Amino acid sequence: MTNKSMACLILTALVIAGVSCGPSEPPAGDAQDAQSEAGKKLKIGVMPKLIGIDFFNATEVGARKAGEELGVEVDFDGPVESKVDLQVEMIETWIAKKYDAIAVAPNAPDAIAPVLKKARKRGISVITWDADALPEARDFFVNQCTSASVAKTLMDVMVEGAGADAKYLILTGSLTAANQNIWMEEMEKYRAQAYPNLTNLSKTPKASGEDQALATQVMADCLKAYPGLQGVFAITSVALPGAAEALRKAGAADRVFLTGLATPKMMKEYVDDGTVDRFVLWNPVDLGYLAVYAAVANVRGEVEPGATAFNAGHLGELKVVGSEIILGDPTIFDKSNIDQFDF
Amino acid sequence: MIRRLFTSRESILLYVFAAMFIAFSVKVEGFFDWFSLLEISRYWVVVGMLAVPMTFIIATSGIDLSVGSIVAMSGIILGLLYSDAQVPIVVACLAAILAGALAGAFNGGVSSYLGIPPLVVTLATMALFRGLAFGLSQARSVSDFPDAFLWLSQGDAFQIPTGAGGSAYFPVPLFALATVIAVGWFLMRHSWVGRFTECLGENETAAHFAAIPVRRLKLGLYTACGAVCGIASIFNTALYSTAKADAATGMELEAIACVVVGGTRISGGRGSVLGTLLGLLIIGILRYGLKMAGMRSQHVVIIVGALLIVTAVLNERMASSGRHAWGEAK
Repeated sequence: MTNKSMACLILTALVIAGVSCGPSEPPAGDAQDAQSEAGKKLKIGVMPKLIGIDFFNATEVGARKAGEELGVEVDFDGPVESKVDLQVEMIETWIAKKYDAIAVAPNAPDAIAPVLKKARKRGISVITWDADALPEARDFFVNQCTSASVAKTLMDVMVEGAGADAKYLILTGSLTAANQNIWMEEMEKYRAQAYPNLTNLSKTPKASGEDQALATQVMADCLKAYPGLQGVFAITSVALPGAAEALRKAGAADRVFLTGLATPKMMKEYVDDGTVDRFVLWNPVDLGYLAVYAAVANVRGEVEPGATAFNAGHLGELKVVGSEIILGDPTIFDKSNIDQFDF
Repeated sequence: MIRRLFTSRESILLYVFAAMFIAFSVKVEGFFDWFSLLEISRYWVVVGMLAVPMTFIIATSGIDLSVGSIVAMSGIILGLLYSDAQVPIVVACLAAILAGALAGAFNGGVSSYLGIPPLVVTLATMALFRGLAFGLSQARSVSDFPDAFLWLSQGDAFQIPTGAGGSAYFPVPLFALATVIAVGWFLMRHSWVGRFTECLGENETAAHFAAIPVRRLKLGLYTACGAVCGIASIFNTALYSTAKADAATGMELEAIACVVVGGTRISGGRGSVLGTLLGLLIIGILRYGLKMAGMRSQHVVIIVGALLIVTAVLNERMASSGRHAWGEAK
């Protein structure tokens, strides 16, 4: 009997403790002085695919910066695993909190759609970023860059590094990866049109299965099997550091130009020692920044369907295609700027 | 009788729930809003359904870790039959339930007739059924379900005026959850199923000598659990408008958490379906309330974990110190 009352007491105490420590945490990332501003402060919920990884931590930096510039409250939160179910339930909470806009990077385009439609019905602006949802479930999609611009930037970097008549290979993740296959298609299209003398030594790309050790192995084999090789694209964030490791071991960086897509943190050591001169990726800080700008503009009615341009703070004038706002060309990382990025 | 009101496990849980609800309503702005509370309750339906048969299984001192995987597998079967095989949606739903029941029967058969502990069997089938879901679907998801099907989880049964011109909507799936809970409660408290189950969990050898068909009972419970997973897969698919192989990942642990918080001992012997319902409500409200209070996801996970440990310890201590009172509380 006393045991049970004790139990009751402890449970209640735990709960009260939980409740009272909740609000004591300041609402994430708002500018404290904004209270004095006229009118109601907008609340924007920004949700990555998951929290706690470098890429999305970098988007958070951008999102918070935009929130400060625009004087809006940014709540940046997401699931601890990349699960769409958790995202859906969290968005339900944001609807209950009556946020003015929700900017989400959905883990699955169709499973996220019902709750986003519900949010829109309640008068909340919905933006997707990083990945899209079904188009009818959101107002705008902030697209980091089109596949064509990824392909073009990669090809241009290769030509600058290895010349317009170089012989090259492509290292991909798995042969069925949708993103990579589209990029390779676009690369081939752009090559045929802009650099007809550039030669792909193997029409089938070399697969390294999102496995860094395997990428090192595959790259080492390619260096032996293709003596005339002058350039290599490694187009996943796992393949590029793996390939760089092989190139460094072989000491072949002066005859083979390696580039591709990866995050600066993973590539820093290879750029510092000169194995990789430069590589390409969209800038996640800018992506988070633009997501918040787009959400706020949509709430304030500053960007309507059918617009062709959009002014996003320090990013300047950006292109709008249909209901997609395009961040622009990917960023090229090299010795001069790699230290500015922490992702 | 009066004493029971204050000391039975269920009433303690009810007070805890009420205390939490009041605390959140007072302290957290925007928490007490019927529209939002009813909307969030849609997400408790699938877990709640799984927790009901889980109560029986844990009461036999068993466990079923494969429920989340069965939900995914049944959901994929439903989706593929509907979209690829062009089967009517009702037939696809029945097939999902049947597939769930077969999966459950496999768990029950292997564990009771081959004498392998259910923890081991269902740990294996957790991977097996999830693998089947991925294999069958080739990791792609199925959507484009008819509106009438989506209504099962996303639909509103009726409108509730909430004053000041606002209104809330009573979610359709709550009826299904209520039905599963009512059937579970009846079986546990008012039929031989519950009596046999608890007897089996208390002492399997004794149950055997008391002429309880131990193996058939276990087979039946796991099969029923699988069938309920099949039903839950219908509501899960309708809730997200999508059948996909990674659906309901980790949901087995959520269901077990509801059962444990609800006072069913993990070592078996006593099961309470009403306790499980209260466990579901307490965990659901705690998670929702903390999120509404602005707590970040990582911290919510920690608090819910702490709640689980505290209740598990209390359950064991209370059960060993007051076995008599427990009997009375039933």
